[in-house]
Amino acid sequence: MRCQQLSTPRRRHHRKMPPSTQVDALSTPTRAPDGSETAANAAEGAPARRQPPPESNESMWTRRAVIFSFWAVVVFLGLPVWWKTTAIYRADLPLQAMTDWADGKICKPVFPLRIAVEASALQSPDAQHLIRTTQHALDDLNEFSAHHLRLMLADSPWTANLSQQVVSDGLRISGKDEDIALTIRLVPVETGTTPRSHLQQYAPTLDVYYAANQIPPASSTSSPLATFIAHELHKMFAEEQAQLAYLLSTTSSAHSAKIKSLSPETAAELERQSTRALKYAPTYHLTFSLFSPTFVPSAWEIESALQQYLAPLLESFSSISNFTVDSQVQLYAGFSPSIRQPEYDETLNAWTLRKEDLSGFINAAEWPLSPSIGIGPTVNFVLYVPDQSQSPLLVKENGGNSWLIPQWGGVLILNPAQAANTANTPTTLTREALAPAMHTFANQLLSLLGLPQTPNSLPLRLSTLKRVRAASLLFSASSTLGALARLTRALPSIPIPDKVAISVDFTTDHLQQACNNLREGRFQGALEHARIAEAEAEKAFFERSMVGQVYFPDEHKAAVYLPLMGPVAVPLLMAALKEFKGLSARRRG
Amino acid sequence: MPIDQQKALLFGAAAAVRLLLFTAFPSLPNLLTGRVEISTPVTSFKRLQEGVFLYTHNVSPYDGGVFHQAPLLLPLFSLLPNPAYYPFATNLLYTIVDLLGANALMHIAESGQSATPRLFKSSRKELRWSSIAIGAGFLFNPFTITTCIARPTSALTNLFILLAMAKASQGAGSTFVLALSVASYLAMHPILLFPPLLVLCYDVRATKSKSAPNPLAFTAFHVLSLVVALGGLLYLSALLTGSWEFLGATYGVRLLLPDLTPNVGLWWYFFTEMFDSFREFFLGVFWLHVVSYVPGLTIRLRKQPLFVAVTLTGIFAVFTPYPSIADGTLYLSLVPLFRHLFPLMRYTFLASSTILYASFIGPAFYYLWIYAGSGNANFFYAITLVWSLGLSVIVGDSLYAALRDELDVERPELRGKEVKRI
Repeated sequence: MRCQQLSTPRRRHHRKMPPSTQVDALSTPTRAPDGSETAANAAEGAPARRQPPPESNESMWTRRAVIFSFWAVVVFLGLPVWWKTTAIYRADLPLQAMTDWADGKICKPVFPLRIAVEASALQSPDAQHLIRTTQHALDDLNEFSAHHLRLMLADSPWTANLSQQVVSDGLRISGKDEDIALTIRLVPVETGTTPRSHLQQYAPTLDVYYAANQIPPASSTSSPLATFIAHELHKMFAEEQAQLAYLLSTTSSAHSAKIKSLSPETAAELERQSTRALKYAPTYHLTFSLFSPTFVPSAWEIESALQQYLAPLLESFSSISNFTVDSQVQLYAGFSPSIRQPEYDETLNAWTLRKEDLSGFINAAEWPLSPSIGIGPTVNFVLYVPDQSQSPLLVKENGGNSWLIPQWGGVLILNPAQAANTANTPTTLTREALAPAMHTFANQLLSLLGLPQTPNSLPLRLSTLKRVRAASLLFSASSTLGALARLTRALPSIPIPDKVAISVDFTTDHLQQACNNLREGRFQGALEHARIAEAEAEKAFFERSMVGQVYFPDEHKAAVYLPLMGPVAVPLLMAALKEFKGLSARRRG
Repeated sequence: MPIDQQKALLFGAAAAVRLLLFTAFPSLPNLLTGRVEISTPVTSFKRLQEGVFLYTHNVSPYDGGVFHQAPLLLPLFSLLPNPAYYPFATNLLYTIVDLLGANALMHIAESGQSATPRLFKSSRKELRWSSIAIGAGFLFNPFTITTCIARPTSALTNLFILLAMAKASQGAGSTFVLALSVASYLAMHPILLFPPLLVLCYDVRATKSKSAPNPLAFTAFHVLSLVVALGGLLYLSALLTGSWEFLGATYGVRLLLPDLTPNVGLWWYFFTEMFDSFREFFLGVFWLHVVSYVPGLTIRLRKQPLFVAVTLTGIFAVFTPYPSIADGTLYLSLVPLFRHLFPLMRYTFLASSTILYASFIGPAFYYLWIYAGSGNANFFYAITLVWSLGLSVIVGDSLYAALRDELDVERPELRGKEVKRI
């Protein structure tokens, strides 16, 4: 039957042959016809014996139904399953907003500092006038527009409802209102050089002493007192301005154009400071270790020493970071064999270590100083008490006994025998003996945390650090968002779970709040929001399930699908094709 | 000897063998219960004991993720005395389950639906074994006996599948639907037997009543009763456990294969190797593969619905996620119903030798892998491949034989001649 069907087109073809061939065929009539012609003839001759009877209608429909049923399963169940299970879920991310954050288009951080002026001895119009002139002088001095100081009268109507009560009692208002960065107290004096100023070390208060005749008259636009205050303030906040400017210039190219260029020396100094300081963390872990190459001292009154010398400092830091503390004593801990042994120096009358060996002083292989305990980074403070035979031990070049290891901690060599003028090393280090060590450690900790050097008032330095940290967290979280947006655009094959989208929303939300807080001068709130934003941004960026598919190129998918799908697909496709062919042939024939 | 007497003798002997094995080798049941070839995570008797323990202590039996079996088994087994101390009641229950299964199988054989369904008379229909022989083939099959001794719940599933087939071949529509819904409730995949068995039931009903019932109404009625019966069972389970969480722990486990304990099937090894991101896709593919046989075979072999149902049990024994030899034994016991196809089968020797080979080497290779440590997972996997190959050869060969048988009826002049696919 198949041959019969084939023979029909063959004949048609024969008829369409070019004339020359026909002539040829006619000229040689004895030539045998081609094979198919013979076969067709044979088939026509004995169809019953060689060919099966035509397929019955019923079996044909059964076959079609069977093929259709398999295809129905594939199309109606298989394709949805395939679509559903291999689709890469990509949650919608606000990519444009994220990029804008990273480019600094949404938030331009500004640092308006409020400075309250207490002038109880002055009449209100006089005081107002003084503030106005000082503000003018200050604005003339300021070169960094994002960071500006705004003076206000402590008992002005603007803050009256807040502070009237307190001021009349003769107390400072700044203790109550955290948003006031500094309080200037104007004190009239009769003696001494005027104007002169005194910055209180443990309160954000600047006392300015002036003579009564230095109050600017209402007609003048400048006065020595106003200029003096403006210069004092400018000097006090110079380092903070430099730090913020440095931060803006290094973290974000968008800002660098607008800020004043820093002098190379200042930039180098700031870079030194920032490489020394640890990365910001909400919690730090402090480890205090006592190492001794012999069996003494075997005890130290570390707990009460920490309580007395360090706890107040850590307490004052609590608005920026928290601290956990532990301590350990390690006896028979020799220092690293890789450095030269101490040499005796006749002139110093002491054993000395070379400066270049200090970096290898920590015996990382044997001293149990684990890199990190708990969540936060660890800051190590090592107290080394040398062997009596090598005591006192000092640094050769400068006779010092302590040094700081950037981003790691501090080391101090304690020579107790020398300090106490006794021959033997005491078995227990008392709290008093630890006092110099604790003071050094406290200073080292301040450097490691990135606290600025000036001004000489701890609350002011802390609030500076708060602003610097808030700004750096803001930049870091923004740039993480930008990186995540770039990653999302660059790799269309990675899945993005809802968790990431939620984290991103959370981050932008907190960034916005941090930015608003900065603008309004609420730096504590800004720091808290920026901290949350940073944590969420990191969480979104380092989401584990996103990276699983990164190294899975499309060629691998063929290797996954083909071995199983191939054998299934071939018979399915062939059956369908054959059926279609048969259908079209029947329609034509 | 009258047929009843023969039957009594057969059942007595089968029960005696089982009870004797239970009592003579008291450690045998526990040994067999631990075998992966017999006990899968979804049928294991040990896990059932765990579930019963939790259930009797008023803890949700699905807490802890060990128990994956249907909740209604719990009250049944908590009624029995603790099998650790009084195993006799449990042993008796499983013996009775086997005898009832054999009884159902004999009913199927007696119905004659295997060789002479309504629309088709096999040309070799005189070639058949007696129901006693077929029952004996089931009861004394070593696979059936080991399954009975190991006491997995798949023995119950087998019983209800056999009951459903028996009732369908007797035309008892409601009992057929009830039995099938219990089987599906216990093991989920038997629901795929519904289309061919419904066709069988329809054919038998049509033969008996002389006027064929309306196919649409018949289908609608039975689908509806299946839904009602299954819904009732599930609702009862929810009442019993107090929540619907059993759905995920039972059918969810069968669908999604979280437990990759080795078994005689093909899924576990494949899914240990699969990339995680394609796991869901291939779960879908594997399940659809099983499902796709149902409509195709039912349409192609419309005239022999019982054969379709039996072939499907063979496919389940190979391609479901948690098969055990209990599924294999069900298929192997049903194949003798089609004695008339045996002369047309071409690979009986190959099939029987692969099955035997796998049954002897399988435990040895498992021992080498797990206990001796001198083999690895591929040893056991290779044997499960051989076992599946053996079963698929029987499935494929019997399918060929059934089609050839149809051709012989259609064109009697070709009988005994070589045929070729065109």
